[in-house]
Amino acid sequence: MVLRRFAIRAAAALLVLVVGPLAGTPAVSARQAPGAGGIRGRLDIKRVARQADRRPDVSAPGAPGPRDLMDLRRGVVYLDTAPRGAFDEREPGRAILDQRNETFVPHVLAVMVGTVVDFPNSDRTYHNVFSLSRARRFDLGRYAAGRSKSVRMDRPGVVRVFCDIHSHMNAFVLVFNHPFFDVTEPDGRFEVAGVPPGTYTLVGWYEGESRVTRPVVVPASGWADIDLVVP
Amino acid sequence: MAVHLVPNTPLPLLGLAVLAIVMGGVAHASAQGLPTEPISIANGTVVLGGEVVGTFGSEDPGYFNYTDYEYSALRNFRMGLTAEVRANAHVQVLTEIRLDQGHVFQPYGLYVRVRPWAARRFDIQVGRIPPTFGAMARAAYGSGNILIGQPLAYQYLMSIRSTAIPANADDLLRMRGRGWLSSFPLGDRTPAAGLPIVNTSRWDTGVQVHGLRGIFEWTAAVTTGSLSDPRVQDNNHGRQLAGRLVGRPTAGVVLGASVARGAWLDAGVDASLPQGQSTGQGRQAAVGGDAEYSAGAFLVRGEVIRSTWTLPLVEAPTIALPLVTRSMLIEGRYKISPGVYAALRGERLDFSTITGTTRTAGWDADTWRVEAGVGWSVIRNIQVKGAWQHNERNGGRVRVDSLVTAQVLYWF
Repeated sequence: MVLRRFAIRAAAALLVLVVGPLAGTPAVSARQAPGAGGIRGRLDIKRVARQADRRPDVSAPGAPGPRDLMDLRRGVVYLDTAPRGAFDEREPGRAILDQRNETFVPHVLAVMVGTVVDFPNSDRTYHNVFSLSRARRFDLGRYAAGRSKSVRMDRPGVVRVFCDIHSHMNAFVLVFNHPFFDVTEPDGRFEVAGVPPGTYTLVGWYEGESRVTRPVVVPASGWADIDLVVP
Repeated sequence: MAVHLVPNTPLPLLGLAVLAIVMGGVAHASAQGLPTEPISIANGTVVLGGEVVGTFGSEDPGYFNYTDYEYSALRNFRMGLTAEVRANAHVQVLTEIRLDQGHVFQPYGLYVRVRPWAARRFDIQVGRIPPTFGAMARAAYGSGNILIGQPLAYQYLMSIRSTAIPANADDLLRMRGRGWLSSFPLGDRTPAAGLPIVNTSRWDTGVQVHGLRGIFEWTAAVTTGSLSDPRVQDNNHGRQLAGRLVGRPTAGVVLGASVARGAWLDAGVDASLPQGQSTGQGRQAAVGGDAEYSAGAFLVRGEVIRSTWTLPLVEAPTIALPLVTRSMLIEGRYKISPGVYAALRGERLDFSTITGTTRTAGWDADTWRVEAGVGWSVIRNIQVKGAWQHNERNGGRVRVDSLVTAQVLYWF
């Protein structure tokens, strides 16, 4: 079971990495991409993950303060191989991963290679955002409320983000080489717009793993409707 | 209260085995099933966390790092399991159990936490509770320590003991620099380990209240033992009062002050004392101040503690009371790159002077320690540290001791 999960994760990481060797593409996902049609549907997450608890801090003289809950209902849907032209040079964009009440908001962020992600501290305490992921290793150090630091996502892959001070804080940044992805709505709906006609493999990703894949045919005009189920 | 589960295992062998297992698993640890988050049971009613620490150090002939006669803080394999049972929004039970040296089982902490008003940051903790005094108690955990050695004030064994006392100043001067195995004529005459200023090898038993209001956080406690000698069972009918106030005037700045006062001598010594003398005269009183500043890649901490002890005066040459110990510590960390940091700590313990028949000297040997090290996070919750530590003191059989040490740490 463990090996199977590892194999799925490795395959997912590999899929993201082989999506395309080119870089320098914009931050927007396919939801904002021009052109009618594409792929739409629902990623049905049967078992929403439970928020990770804080480590029991037995050595503390009192209980910790309240924190916000992460929105764990969202997944990411993407094409595992992108059509020709997906890697055209585009202007890099910006995205925000906020820190509020000891929680990263949003919990899942999907961007394109070259995107600069801002990490503002909107909390009352210090935070120290870092990642040891191969796709992007960084440590922003400690900074106070009202300040922000940024990281440019240079390579495709999954960047797991943590806080060095609050071990329960975590988030995902999925970095793609193409614009054909979407972070799902809380009810699971997604739209990957502007996909040229053709046959593709659609991947449903949730909480660190590619959980489901489905072939999909995009018509010459209009939308391909498809639902994915994460068991 | 420690329980030896199996006979002593040669620590170097055990350490190497652990190192091999941990490092062998590091490459795929995150994916192969080692927990990376706390384990929740029954929808979060029970939450388990853990820490596994293997520490390997070179010989320490001066016993600078021993937490008692047998155990060095730099040669240890520790598995700690913490559990939080959430009965409801107001009541939790917290416990920590440890396996030290690979075979010594110890229930380290066990207490009930009550939050009378769910919306207010006010808690009452009853049982075997965490320390109230000082800022560095967390250094007893691998993940709470930027280096490997523990701060002198919280670990270094002075010559004084709660179960045996010197009859005169000569007895005390004779034990300078021998806290790892000291002996005195009154009370238990069997040689045994002395006491640190603040003992974090075990926790005290009592009631602790904690609150937070604005920039201030306060803690007060009444316990059975003393800073030096925390206890589960009372041994002197005395109580310790301790308090701590922490202020956070601005982001990155933490200022703290701590006080404690309590009976520290074992009443069993009374049988050895002349009429009119009593261990009830023995008091440990301590005050401490600490500060922390952090910004960007830097973290700097400092702490000063002044602790005094009184004890019955039995015969000439009498001991000048109170016995005073002053501790100073400063440490810093700088993050070199993601997952890699360098750290440095400098410390000093000074002792008040007493006069014996033939000499005047500090009642224990003044001690200095410098430790420099690096830490590397292989993944978020697996860390490897390496450090060099230099110790000096102006008394005892071994006065200078330099050590090289390494630590592998895993937590969830």
